[in-house]
Amino acid sequence: MLTDDDILDAMQAMHGYVDITPGTFKEIYSLSYDLALKRIRSLGKAEEIMTSPVRCLTRQMSIPEAASYMANYGISGAPVIDDEGVVIGVVSEKDFLRKMGLPGSAGIMSVVGECLTVNKCLVAGLRSLFVEDLMSTQPIVAEKETTQAELSRIFTEHKINRIPICNSDGLPLGIVTRSDLVNSICQMV
Amino acid sequence: MNIFKKMKGTTQSPPRVGNSEIIWSWIGAFLGIALVGSFQSMIVDSIGRNLLIGSFGATAVLVYGAIRSPLAQPRNVLGGHVLSALVGVLSYQVAGDIIWLAAAMAVATAIALMHATKTLHPPGGATALIAVIGGDSIHHLGYFYALIPVGLGAVLLLAVALVVNNIAPQRRYPEFWF
Repeated sequence: MLTDDDILDAMQAMHGYVDITPGTFKEIYSLSYDLALKRIRSLGKAEEIMTSPVRCLTRQMSIPEAASYMANYGISGAPVIDDEGVVIGVVSEKDFLRKMGLPGSAGIMSVVGECLTVNKCLVAGLRSLFVEDLMSTQPIVAEKETTQAELSRIFTEHKINRIPICNSDGLPLGIVTRSDLVNSICQMV
Repeated sequence: MNIFKKMKGTTQSPPRVGNSEIIWSWIGAFLGIALVGSFQSMIVDSIGRNLLIGSFGATAVLVYGAIRSPLAQPRNVLGGHVLSALVGVLSYQVAGDIIWLAAAMAVATAIALMHATKTLHPPGGATALIAVIGGDSIHHLGYFYALIPVGLGAVLLLAVALVVNNIAPQRRYPEFWF
């Protein structure tokens, strides 16, 4: 939190005579901070920034099939739906890495490094698996009315990168990624 | 009780400026007032005008000593002085028989007008007051008072401010024009 000393030091660093008291500055700062917060909190709803329709995987899809699908559409994750079309999980690159015995934080270089040193293709083990073996179950989803502020809280709290947006029956309507949210905030600013 | 509490103040004085600021303020004020003064002796004396009025001392404090202040920006310096001068002359013409009334009207109305036009410039209050209490030499000028000495003097002070404040490495002026 801003202290009086911070303000005084900043005023001193500005060289010229600043025609304002530290108290007034603090008042302006705190009022404008509250206004900025209010503006960010009043950002729109999920439906305004979600990508729709969303590309989904099915639980019975084989992993090679799912990987090609994701590669074709240039997506790094997707919701998984059951036969009724209800979202039952999410697959992301992290799930692939985890299944390959690597930490979720690993990147492409970890895969290459492992493959070259162990001399065995880590991915080969995934060939016979299905999406349901890989997916994160109990997916975190939101509704189209969920506010962007709430979405941002969910991203941070659950350390995830995409949130499927579903209707009340669990059917997917769209998806919001972290970058969708960042773009939306950037436009506001 | 609340009134007494408010009277105690709530914050502290802003920090003292650095020595270079003090020097630049001095240089600016010296050159600005010197220019207005020499203009008077060179040109205005020939037409019998007094160019150097008291309120320019106050303007110098702002345009050389507190250059970031909204009160010190060109819009305020020019607008504040000229509008206040007009208000001062009008007040004298309307209520000049009762000097205290004309003086009070001049200053109060000048402040209100400067507020309303976003040209608040404290020396404007003095400019308005001088129009009333400045004696016959000022009274004879009528509304021309707003042009010379007030308008011309303000322009000269501003010109010096633009040069000096931008030569100084850690200064820039103005923050905005109009």
